[in-house]
This record gives sequence, C-alpha cells and structure tokens, in this order.
Amino acid sequence: MYQAIVFLPLLGALLGEPVGLRAGARAAEILTTGLLLLCAALSWAAFFQVGYGAQAHALVVPVAQWLKVGDLDVSWALRIDALTATMLVVVTSVSGLVHLYSIGYMAEDPSRPRFFSYLSLFTFAMLMLVTADNLVQMFFGWEGVGLASYLLIGFWYEKPSANAAAIKAFVVNRVGDFGFALGIFLVFALTKSVSFDAIFAAAPGLAGKSVHAFGMDVDALTLACLLLFMGAMGKSAQFLLHTWLPDAMEGPTPVSALIHAATMVTAGVFMVARLSPLFAHAPAALGFVTAVGATTALFAATVGLVQNDIKRVIAYSTCSQLGYMFVALGVGAYGVGIFHLFTHAFFKALLFLGAGSVIHAMHHEQDMRNMGGLRTKIPLTFWAMTVGTLALTGFPFTAGYYSKDAIIEAAYAGQGWTATYGFLCTVVAAGLTSFYSWRLVFMTFFGEPRAFGAHAHDDHAHGDDAHAHEPHESPATMLVPLALLSLGALAAGFAFHGAFVAPGAEAFWKGSIADMSGAVDAMEKVPGFVSLLPTLMMVGGFLVAYAMYVMRPGSADALAKAMPLAYRFLLNKWYFDELYDFLFVRPAFWLGRLFWKGGDGRIIDGFGPDGVSSEVLAVSGRVVRLQSGYVYHYAFAMMLGIAAIITWYLFMGVR
Amino acid sequence: MMPTFFPLASLAPELLIALAALGLLLLGAWRGERAAWIVAEAAIAALGIAAVMLVMRKGGVGARTFFHGAFVDDAFARFMQALSLVGGAVSLLLSFDWMRRRGIGAFEYPVLVLLATLGMMVLAAAGDLIALYVGLELMSLALYVAAAFDRDDGRATEAGLKYFMLGALSSGMLLYGASLIYGFAGSTAFDDIARAAQGHVSLGLAFGVAFLLAGLAFKISAAPFHMWTPDVYEGAPTPVTAFFASAPKMAAMAALVRVTTTAFPGAAADWRQIVVFVSILSMAIGGFGALGQRNFKRLMAYSSIGHMGFALVGLAAGSQAGVQGVLVYMAIYLAMTLGTFAAILLMRRGGAYVESIDDLAGLSKTDPATATFLTLLMFSLAGVPPLAGFFAKYYVFTAAIQAGLFSLATVGVLLSVVSAVYYLRIVKLMWFDEPKAAFDAGARAPRWTLALATAVVGLFFLLPAPLVDAALAAARALLPA
Amino acid sequence: MPSLVSDYLPLLIFVALAGVIAVVLLAAPFALAFKNPDPEKLSAYECGFNPFDDARMKFDVRFYLVSLLFIVFDLEVAFLFPWAVSFHRVGLAGFWSMMAFLGVLTIGFVYEWRKGALEWD
Repeated sequence: MYQAIVFLPLLGALLGEPVGLRAGARAAEILTTGLLLLCAALSWAAFFQVGYGAQAHALVVPVAQWLKVGDLDVSWALRIDALTATMLVVVTSVSGLVHLYSIGYMAEDPSRPRFFSYLSLFTFAMLMLVTADNLVQMFFGWEGVGLASYLLIGFWYEKPSANAAAIKAFVVNRVGDFGFALGIFLVFALTKSVSFDAIFAAAPGLAGKSVHAFGMDVDALTLACLLLFMGAMGKSAQFLLHTWLPDAMEGPTPVSALIHAATMVTAGVFMVARLSPLFAHAPAALGFVTAVGATTALFAATVGLVQNDIKRVIAYSTCSQLGYMFVALGVGAYGVGIFHLFTHAFFKALLFLGAGSVIHAMHHEQDMRNMGGLRTKIPLTFWAMTVGTLALTGFPFTAGYYSKDAIIEAAYAGQGWTATYGFLCTVVAAGLTSFYSWRLVFMTFFGEPRAFGAHAHDDHAHGDDAHAHEPHESPATMLVPLALLSLGALAAGFAFHGAFVAPGAEAFWKGSIADMSGAVDAMEKVPGFVSLLPTLMMVGGFLVAYAMYVMRPGSADALAKAMPLAYRFLLNKWYFDELYDFLFVRPAFWLGRLFWKGGDGRIIDGFGPDGVSSEVLAVSGRVVRLQSGYVYHYAFAMMLGIAAIITWYLFMGVR
Repeated sequence: MMPTFFPLASLAPELLIALAALGLLLLGAWRGERAAWIVAEAAIAALGIAAVMLVMRKGGVGARTFFHGAFVDDAFARFMQALSLVGGAVSLLLSFDWMRRRGIGAFEYPVLVLLATLGMMVLAAAGDLIALYVGLELMSLALYVAAAFDRDDGRATEAGLKYFMLGALSSGMLLYGASLIYGFAGSTAFDDIARAAQGHVSLGLAFGVAFLLAGLAFKISAAPFHMWTPDVYEGAPTPVTAFFASAPKMAAMAALVRVTTTAFPGAAADWRQIVVFVSILSMAIGGFGALGQRNFKRLMAYSSIGHMGFALVGLAAGSQAGVQGVLVYMAIYLAMTLGTFAAILLMRRGGAYVESIDDLAGLSKTDPATATFLTLLMFSLAGVPPLAGFFAKYYVFTAAIQAGLFSLATVGVLLSVVSAVYYLRIVKLMWFDEPKAAFDAGARAPRWTLALATAVVGLFFLLPAPLVDAALAAARALLPA
Repeated sequence: MPSLVSDYLPLLIFVALAGVIAVVLLAAPFALAFKNPDPEKLSAYECGFNPFDDARMKFDVRFYLVSLLFIVFDLEVAFLFPWAVSFHRVGLAGFWSMMAFLGVLTIGFVYEWRKGALEWD
C-alpha cells in the first residue's frame, strides 16, 4: 500500500505526456487525477491505521539498496510513522484536489498533459521526501520538489517573467540546499550514518561535542542543526531566503496552491520536525529557529498589508504562516507546528484555489484594485474565500483558531528571550494577518466593481465571447475542491486538535517527533488573556480593514499618502530584492561576465579551440604561401633543408 | 661460373619485368598505337606475376646476396618489392579508363611504368650505393617522363619539368653524399660501410649520410624536400599521380630504411636526428599545408607528405619494432592512397574530370556507395579506429615510445589531430552539404579498386596477422634484435 | 688523413697557379693595353655582316633529338673502350654482360627507328 502511495504519482508523471499525445489531454488529466485521488484515499487509510493504530514503532518498508561506499550506506526505504502519515494525507489530499481543480482551471491551456505530468512528478518527489528513511533520500526528494517547482513556476515558459521567477526560485533554494548538504555531511561525519534511526540514537551522545571550524570551536550539534535549518529556510522561504516565494506566483495558480502554499514550502517545517530528536539536543539552534520564524511571521505580514496582487498577498501570508510553524518548532512544541502545517494546508490551498477561481472569473486579472463587488457575481467562490479567511485569521472553532492559538500559547509558555520575541511577533502578526486577509476579501468582493474588462484578455484569451467580459462562476471541477477544502478549513482543527496537540498527543505521534510534553504542559498553564489575545487581534484587524475598505473606501490611499516612506518601504518588500540585487546578483553577474568574457572567451577559447584553430589556419596559410610554384624557390628550400642539417652537425657535433 | 654469377631463378621477378619492358617496347614499336591496350594488359600481367612470385617465395629462402653484395634478396626486399609491384599494377589498371577518355593511346606509358617498377625493385634490394643509385635513376627517369606524359596539357608538362629539375638536384645531393661516404668509408657496399662507421663517426661521413638521406627524402616527398610534391601531384595526369603517390614511395622508403639500418647501424644516433627533424617537419607541413587546399590531388600531396612523416616516426625509433611499424604503415598507406585516387578518378561530371573537393558536396545523396567508401578511407587516413590507418599509426608510435622518443610521439599525435581536420572536412562535405549534380557513371576498374581498398582498410583489424607477420619477418631481415 | 691531404698539395698549388695566371691575364690589358675605341670596333661581329636578328632564336626540336641520340651512342662507345681493353680479364661474364647492355641499347635503337626519330621529315 505504501509503495502504491509513493509510486502511483510517478506512474502518472511518466504516463501523462505519452497518454496525452496518444489519447488527448483529457485522458491524461483523468489518468493523473484518478491516480492521485486513489493515492489520497490510501493515504487517509494509512493515516488512521498509523496514527490511531497500535503500532508502536515506525514502519520501514525497504525498496532497494541505493549505494554503499565504506561507512556510507544508503537504501531506498519508506519510513511510515505518524509524522509521515500526516504529511501523506496533506500532500495527497491537496494534490488530488489541485489535480481536479486544474482540469477546470487549465482547460484552455494547450500543454495540459505536460502540466499534469509535472504536478504528478512533484507529488512523487514530495512523497519521496516525506517518506524518506535517511537524509540522502530526503535530499533526493528535496531536490526533486525543487525541480518540479522550477518546472511549474516556469510552466508558461514564453513569459520572461515566469522564467526569471523560476530561475530565482531555483537559485535561492540552492543557497539553502548548500547548507542542507553541508549539514548532511556534518551529521554523517559525526554519526557515521545518514539513517534517521542511527542518527537519533547517536544524538544524545553528541550533545556538548564540538568541532573545529574556521579557527573556532563550535558546538557540533548546534552547527549541524543550523546548517540543516539553512536548507529549511530556503525551502520554506524564511526571512532572508524568502524572496523567491512571491515571485513564484508567476506559475499557474493551482501550482501556487499545491507547491507554494500547502506542501513544498512546508518541507522545511517537516524536516525540522522529522529531525526534532536532533534539534532537541541543540537548544541554541532551536532558539535561532524561533527567532527566524518570528521575524518572518511579522515581516511577511507587514509586506502583505500593502500588496495589490491577489496572489502575492496570499503568498506573503504563506510566508508569514510558515514563520508561525517555525516558532512552534523552535519552542519545542513540534506537534503544534505540524498541526498548523496540517490545518494551514487546507485553508491556504483553499485561499489560493479561491483566488484562482477569482482570477479565472476575471479573465486572468490579478490586481485587486481592478476587482470589487464580485460577491454577487461569483457567490460560491466568495463563500469559499470567506471560509478560508476565517480559518486563516483564527475565527473561533475554525482550523486556524486551534493551530494558531496553540502556537501563540506555546510561544508564551516557551523558555528564553527568543520565545518571548516569538510571542510578541506572532501576536502582532495575528492582527496584521486579520487586516490583510479581510482587506483582500473586501477589495475583491465588496464595494463597486472597478474597471471590468479593462485589463482582461491580455494573453490568455477565452474562446467563448458570450461571457467574455462578465465575471463568471467557475466550473464544477473547480468548485468541488473548493467545497472539500472549505470543509477541511472549518473542521480540521476541531477534529484533530485532540490527537495532535492536546496533552497525551504522544499516543498519536508515538515517538515520530521528539518529546514535547513539557511544552504542551506549559501551554495548558498559560493565563487566560493569552488565549484570548489572538482572537482580540483578529477582531481588531477585521474592524480596521472594514473601516478602511468598506465604510470609507479611499482612506487607505490617504493613509498611504500620509506616510509615504513607510508605505513605499512595505510596498517594495523592505527593499530585499534591491538589496540582494546589489549585494549578490550584480557581483555575481559581474564575476560571471568576467569569467565568461575574460576567462572563457579570452583565455580558454582564446588559447584553446578558437586560438588553436585560427593559429592553425594562419600556419596553414604560411605553409601554403611557401608553395610559390617557382622551381628555384623549391630548390632553395631543399638547399636550406640540407644546410640546416649540416649546420646542426657542425655545431652540435656528431656523436 | 655462370650459375653462381647470374642466378636466373632468384632474379626471376626482376628479369620478368625487364624482359617484359623490352619486349613490350618492341611490340609497341612494330604495331604502333594499335597495340596500346595489349601492351598495357600484358604489363599488368607481368607486374602481377612478379608480385605473385615474390609472395610465393616468402619464407622459402633466407637472405641471399648477388653481384658482390650489390643486390640483396631478403624478406625485406621482397616485402617492399611486392608493395611496389602492387602499386604499379593497380595504378596502371586505374589509368586505362583515363587514357581512353583523354584519347591517349600510347603504349609507352605501361612500358614506363614497368621500367620505373624495375628501378624500384633494384632500389628496394640495393645493398650497395651504386646499385642504389642505378635503381633510383632508372625509377626517376621513367617517372619524369610519366609526369609529363599528357604532353598537350600545360600543367602536366610543367609538372614533369619541375619534377625533373628538382629530381636532378636531389640526385646530385645523393651522389654527393654517396661520394663523401665512399671517400670516408672506403667502400660503396653497405656492410663495408657499416664496418667503417663504427664507433666515432667522422664529420665527413655524417655529411655524407645527411646528403644521402636528403636525396632519398626527396623521393618519398618528406619535408623539407617535399616542395615538388603538390605541384607535380596536381599537374600530372591523375593515374600517374596515383602511381607517384604509391609505388615509388615504397621503394624509396625501402632504400632509406635499408641504408640507415644496415649501412649505418653504428651511427644511429646521428641519422636519427635527421630522421626526427624530417619526420616532424613532414607531419607539420602535411598537416598544416593541406588545410587550405581545395584541389583533391593537391590535398593528397600534402597528405602523403604528412604520412611519410608518420612512417618516419617508426624509422626514428631505429628498432625492429620501428621498422616493422614503417612496413605496416607503408602497406596500409598504399591501400589507402590507391583507394583514394580511385575515388578521384570517379569524379567525372559532364564528361570532364573534376578535382576540387567542393565537387564532392552531397555525394552521399547522389552516390551513397562511393561516399561511404571514401568516408571510410578518409577516416582511415585520419587514423580513426578500428580502421587500418589507426593501426598504422599505432605501430609506429608504439615503437617510438618504446625507443624513448616521447616528445616525437607526442608531437606526432598532436599533428595527426591537425591532419584529421581536413579529412573530416571532406567527410562533412560529402554528408552534410547540399548535393551537386551527380557524377558520371564510373568505370569498373576505379570502382572495384575503391571497394577493394576500402575492404582492406576497413577489415584489416579482423585479420591483421598476415601483414603484421610479414612485416615482422621483413624487419627481422634487417635488424636481428 | 694528413698524408691524404698532403698528397693533394701539388694539385692545390696547380689550381692556385692557374687562378693567378687567369686573373693576371684578365687584369693586364686594363693596365697595359692601348685603348682607342670607335663605333665600328664596338659593334657585334658576325662573319663580316651585321647580325640579322636575335641570337637566342628557336631551334628545331629535332636538333635536340639528334644530339640526345648522339650522346647515348657516344657513351656506348666510351663504355666499350675500357671493356675491350680489359676483355681478356672480364671473362665470359663480362662478355655476356656487355652483350646484354648492347641488346638493351639495340632495342632502344629499334624503338627510335620505328618511331621515326632518325628521319628528318
């Protein structure tokens, strides 16, 4: 069964394109979607079997030997435990729904088989990642999802901006992957193994050990964890390595929902949780995780306040929510982090797919300033988005309410200044989240319709002109996933809260993540106002947004004019892109051009192929010119030759 | 007295060729041009029978000398004589069609080929400087006339005149060297010279060797005595060029190898310097010179210069393996060059012979068989495994490395890369360029020659033993070790 | 080797003396002779006539042919003299060798005769 879950998407990815060529795009869509939905069903079965079953230890399903070099022994194996089962459910469910949704959303794209193949390929890689039994296999999945992400962001490869975004995502992720790889090396050097069981067994013995690096003695485990976390920062778009995520919105919206909201970006969270037995012994590294997560949560929320592109708002929201998850992990509440990952997958996928539905309705218009009043035109989408927003902002008893509030409580209960910092940041960010989420809803669905059709039909013209300029509700293939995800967004928190984070959650996790009973117990003891605080912030954010965008439209612009500096700072995303451009991109280009023009062009080509060939031709020309056709020249050459030999003998002597 | 002095049986191949030349000359003189084809066919038959006689005698008898050591009958001589005979016979065969189309019905050409071949046989078997010179001149005089044989063609007569004048100069050099050697060694017989040239070699003897080698290097068209080659190859009638490129090279190389290894084994370090110098210069000029050529015959001239340079790498090694390498190289070169000239003779469009390599453009579409054969030959000339040309180079370079001539081997391999360029350019022209009009239907002889040469070159690696063993036996006759 | 060179010393003196005499004879008229040039003295002299045309005119190629054939047979005779003088020493082998040589030469002669090289027209 587990093999089926992992490899059915690979089958779909391999067959998608050939089937699409032979039997048409529709066949490819049905094939890949059907396989994915089958996977999802199997995953739910596995989830209940593993999470609520009696099996005490992780189930390891061997697949094949991969490589064995000296101490390095890497095998393909599927590690199935509660953590993996949770991720399986998230990945396959969202992926299945996104496949289904894409049938409607991509209906007019000419290369749909390719799209569905990529989606399935991504799913396979993601499943490889979450079922990994060792670090190398995890790295394989890690790079696999990176590749699929690259392919899907650049799916519309005719668009230069999509290509640029794909390259940016890939390159920024390389920075993180570099750290991840180094971390794997260090872990291997320390424990002589890359297998999780062996690493976790060795972890307690490593605490306090140090390695000598760059002339300093560094705590070995802390260094390893920080390097590994660097990979997580790249993949999960954390502060400093976050710049690729908003740009990744150049990809088709279902891709954003699947990869850049629900699954791939949470790989970092998953990785830290998976390695939590290791991190648990590196408190300094955990503190760093908290700090980075908190900073990201706050930073991304501030930027989200002023963005106008509907997808970018949600993208920054994703960034921010990932920060929340890291805060939870950082303070030792691993289950809480995964719980938020779980619930977030539902409502963020819902929001993205809802936004996709809006964009679909608006004929690929993404700027919220050109929307408005859509509530009556696309009521089902409106309700779905509202449910998503409620869940995201933590409206009581929705999914977000349980998970996000748990994070804030855990941060409050956590030890050390980083936890306090995390608490403050997450609380403020909760208010900001509420504001920008409702701002999105109000700008899109309320108020007067603005500039319908002014910007429609730019490059993806709809074929049927009957409703070309009117917003239209999406087809059933898109609405069904919305409905299912709405259900998840409403109920996921309520249904699984007890199993994931309540005291006694160890019965569910069964040791698949590090012990977090201390953090959970502390959460139970937080004062009442802490539990109320997020809800208050949510209400506050809602009211401000309502005031600014519904009661007095235009006051937002006035505020922006009143504080131009702050506004521009936020609108330009804290000038990170410009800073990186100045710090890294331009020097890199300069260096690249130096090596290209100077190193490759002038030195390697100049002295290598080009130089040799031109020199050969020049020599050839000279040799040919010797051949003048005059007999006396020829005779002279012969004389010169014999004279040279004789002279050689005269001066060098005979032996 | 007679049987010991005049060994009829042992000299049967040479006598056959000599008598055939005289007899056919008389026949032609009485019957005139009507006898031209009979003379030509009889000449080929004589050459073929002589070659068969040589091959049959293989291994049967050891080395024997006649005429007081002036004429040596050993495995080495027989090997090179056989190659010369094959070169003469095949190029004569190739000339039939050409002569017929040019309207030249002269019976003198086959006779000239026979006389030149007789000279080559003497040259390859010469054990004495005088015999060497007689053989060389007999060969050369016939070749001078053959070069200008198409006497109504300005280029051919120019080629003949140039060849004659420069050939005379080289003969002069050779004679001067021979007289120096005689003066310092006191004998013209190789084994006497070898005894005299032991230990310290006087400067005069070294000069003699230098001039002698210069004269012989001219005949194998090795740089810097190669200057005649491109002009004569281009100007002479194509079948004559085919003859020039094949048979005389075998004999002259035989003489060069025999003189250096049997007359001057004690002065190996001295002549090796010359051979290395000539070898590197030949490889370089052959490689670089051909790059700019569009005329196929001229290109083949540079190709032959380069190949002689490669063959001399084996001689520079000075070992048995080196000589074996030279012999294998020459044999394979003979097959490659005859095949290539057969292909050139197939290049006929609108009734006229064309010679530019651009005329080969797109040959793969108009005549795939010829294009395939020629491609294989070009790959072989470039030294691409598993074709014979690769093994030819392999043997000489291995010998050079065994002899410690690493820099020579390295330079040689690098220059073989340069030479590969223009062979591959011809391949590219044939397979990737826009086709030109198809060639006229070719005569049977060039087609078969091309196919046969390609088969030899392409299938050598399946059965290398006969050639390699024969070459080893021949090398053993010169150098026992 | 020194003896070999010293044997040639008289020859060297002879050659040097010849050179000296030649130079002296060439140089002496410039110093001693009486010079009184006039146009008639300086004009080209050809059997008492002025030259009709350029001396470098074309000859009939048959002259060359005849001269070539003459050289061949001239050399044959030059070859025969020492052979004849030492005839009693070279024996049977020497006799037949010369016969073979003459035979080859005869075939060449027959060829040139048949080709009409001996006829002027």
